[in-house]
Amino acid sequence: MPTDDTSDIPKLAEHLFRHESGKLVSALVGSFGIRRLQLAEDVVQEALIRALETWPFHGIPANPAAWLMQTAKNRALDLIRREKRFHEKLPEITASIERLPESDGLHDDEIRDNRLRLIFACCHPALPPDDRTVLALKTLCGFGVAEIARAFLSSEAAIGKRLTRAKQRIRDEAIPFEIPENRELAGRIDAVLHVLYLLFNEGYKASAGESIVRADLCHEAIRLAGLLAAHPDTDSPRLHALLALMLLNAARLPARASTGGDLLRLRDQDRSLWDRAMIARGLFHLSRSATGNEFTEYHLQAGIAAHHATAESDSATDWPAILRHYDQWIDLNDSPLITLNRAVALSKVAGPQAALDALEPLRESGKLDDYHLFHAVLGDIAEQLDEHRTAARHFQKALELASVSPEQAFLAGRLQECRELTD
Amino acid sequence: MNPAQHSNGHLLIFRSTDWHTGLSPEEIQSVMSDWTAWFERLGAEGKLAGGNPLEREGHVVSGKNRSVSDGPFAESKEAVGGYFLLTVGTLEEAVEIAKECPALPYGLTVEVRPVAPACPAERMRREAEAAAMSLKD
Repeated sequence: MPTDDTSDIPKLAEHLFRHESGKLVSALVGSFGIRRLQLAEDVVQEALIRALETWPFHGIPANPAAWLMQTAKNRALDLIRREKRFHEKLPEITASIERLPESDGLHDDEIRDNRLRLIFACCHPALPPDDRTVLALKTLCGFGVAEIARAFLSSEAAIGKRLTRAKQRIRDEAIPFEIPENRELAGRIDAVLHVLYLLFNEGYKASAGESIVRADLCHEAIRLAGLLAAHPDTDSPRLHALLALMLLNAARLPARASTGGDLLRLRDQDRSLWDRAMIARGLFHLSRSATGNEFTEYHLQAGIAAHHATAESDSATDWPAILRHYDQWIDLNDSPLITLNRAVALSKVAGPQAALDALEPLRESGKLDDYHLFHAVLGDIAEQLDEHRTAARHFQKALELASVSPEQAFLAGRLQECRELTD
Repeated sequence: MNPAQHSNGHLLIFRSTDWHTGLSPEEIQSVMSDWTAWFERLGAEGKLAGGNPLEREGHVVSGKNRSVSDGPFAESKEAVGGYFLLTVGTLEEAVEIAKECPALPYGLTVEVRPVAPACPAERMRREAEAAAMSLKD
């Protein structure tokens, strides 16, 4: 029997268990050591299950986060007292677990530092880049294997294997649990930022309709970047640029799909649905990113996103400024993907033929032949040139390559439009 | 015929102590919140006399020698993880409530048993007595 009368039941913060699990794992790894990451995860899982078994009967405690921390600590102590392999280090580990704070201690320096140490361990250059993002989602963000598999359009077995391999690698390579210092920090922080960037893009690519989990990836990437920004050692202009680009893009997520779940082009979006508070935060970090003498690709992408996010309407968008950003970006990184995006801006400034000419080298090289959005952009340009038959051919190709259902539906719609115009 | 009335209510016995392995933190929170709401609502509706989770460890006492051994007592799929004592009078009502259990989709099973009105042997004696009395008439 459904009921709406649950008003007197204490409401837990959304994602509390997921977020606490990331925090607790880093606290316990601080005691157990990074080699025993799996053990820390098991202990935290047991604490969450203990909550599941008892809270429904005894009520949700006044401070749920503190309860989880205490239960995880007790469980950890039980476990290490029972396990022989801990014997030689028993007093040391026990003392370190007992030192963990009682409360949820948002401002507790030790917990904060342990979380950063775990971020650096998960994003260590000795791990393959794909494994880093998966490991970050599992240990830092508290996602389950099935959830990660859904987000990456992969199988649970494949994700599970990847996690096992990553943890094995951490042991084999003796990856340290520390915040790198001075000279090493700069290089290591770039690896961390890159993982967050990948995480964000993975979520942003198709976070519409059925793929709720993917929008969560965007928010997790922003949350982890926020943790880094809050620490004096890791705070840096490029981090603020990354935060700005993520916030300014994520602010538009609520408008990316119609109520029916169909993807909408930027010019078709209802701009009143954009998250104004997020845009404001994004612009704040954009201004912070300009404080040093660093100039990165993140800065340019944040600048582009800021132009979109602050334009009153599609026609009021400052496309020449956006195109200048793309020009500078290509100077820094001459990648096919950036060339493709630049062509879209170019079509707005100099017309579709100029855009088509700019894409000619890419078509010849065949570098993006397997990328569905390459064909979608070509289709869009052909449509603007009133070449509907050519456009239909490009959209057909794009549709064959697309793997996410909202994108497939969008491309099928564009294809249909072109066919109607050629009839 | 009216459904049998059981004035002492019904026991819901939750079986399986490992149904939650593999749940993600997000799923654990969601099941926990649903279960809490369910428990509170049954209490507010006056359908719940009590309920508790059981610890996983314990002892089993058995045999002429009264030997005491450690758990586990059964396969974890069968082991009892907790119970509700419902006040509802019919098995049908109790089954409907059991169907609302938020952990069913994850593999927990709920056993529904009427609480017998009195010791069955005593009941049989009384029934026999009543039958004997009616024969006299």
